[in-house]
Amino acid sequence: MLLVIGIDAATWKIIKPNIDRLPNIRGLMDEGIYKTLPSDKRPISASAWCSIFSGKMPEEHKNTDFVVDGELQTREKIRVDFIWDVLDKQGYDVKALNIPFVIPPYNFNCGFKPVGYGLPETPGEWGEELHEITEKSLEILNGKPDLLCVAYSLLDRVQHFHWGEEEFITRWYEKVDKAIGNLIPYGDKLIVLSDHGFCNREEAEVQTLPEKTPRGEIKGDHHRDGILITKNVDFEINRLQDVYFAIKKEIKNG
Amino acid sequence: METKHTTVSIPKPLYEKIQGRIKNTGFTSVSDYVTYVLRQVISELEEDQEEPFTREDEEKVKERLRSLGYIE
Repeated sequence: MLLVIGIDAATWKIIKPNIDRLPNIRGLMDEGIYKTLPSDKRPISASAWCSIFSGKMPEEHKNTDFVVDGELQTREKIRVDFIWDVLDKQGYDVKALNIPFVIPPYNFNCGFKPVGYGLPETPGEWGEELHEITEKSLEILNGKPDLLCVAYSLLDRVQHFHWGEEEFITRWYEKVDKAIGNLIPYGDKLIVLSDHGFCNREEAEVQTLPEKTPRGEIKGDHHRDGILITKNVDFEINRLQDVYFAIKKEIKNG
Repeated sequence: METKHTTVSIPKPLYEKIQGRIKNTGFTSVSDYVTYVLRQVISELEEDQEEPFTREDEEKVKERLRSLGYIE
């Protein structure tokens, strides 16, 4: 079975200096291949996750934001087939859980109510998201699907509001590491990736959020350099879109 | 080695009917077609169990998007 774990906004800038505190990620890096995965030109989650799972460029899928003309973007308005649509039609047992190319995040072939509509705002909700997604993933994995694509979104929010507070952020990476440690043993083949990286707000190529928000000051924002770790995946992934083709090839190869 | 498939029985006339139905389609076997149909049914049942996304939910999402600074 192929397991794809998305960790929204995960960056090597936090992982590498703190690798000794992240045993599951370290284990995967030791056993597999890891690199920096550059996001699309505009590192925006809605667009990036869409590129990852449709194999299309932003100009093709045209999914630019969570809100378009004042209305929430929906799956139906995005005119592409995702990897789960394609493989499902071919008879594979595929599931997608909490994929944030739209808000609330998208689920395929599984029922799931995302914490805070996929926009967890407080430490309590961040922890709840970790727990709920991990539990639902385990339930799905025990059914032995051919493919599960799952994404955690909390680190994006943690870093937007706390960038620069490395100890605080690293503690949340530790929690994510522990959570994915429960899932990793189920994947014969694994892809762990982020949709973009992170940096100081001033250095960011795109400022996705204003400096001041009702929830507090925005200290960090998106950087193009995301992370990629693969294990037993025989496909060279160099761009977000390649993930789609890697999944397709690995599933067909059994 | 663990096998990924198991056998279920269906009436022969139904099997033959499906055989006829999948001719000239992308389905290469009756098993593939039956698997596809059953997954659709289960998926629809699971979706039916989900609570519908209401106008009120939409407002709550927008409230969160505003709170996090995504929209004004």
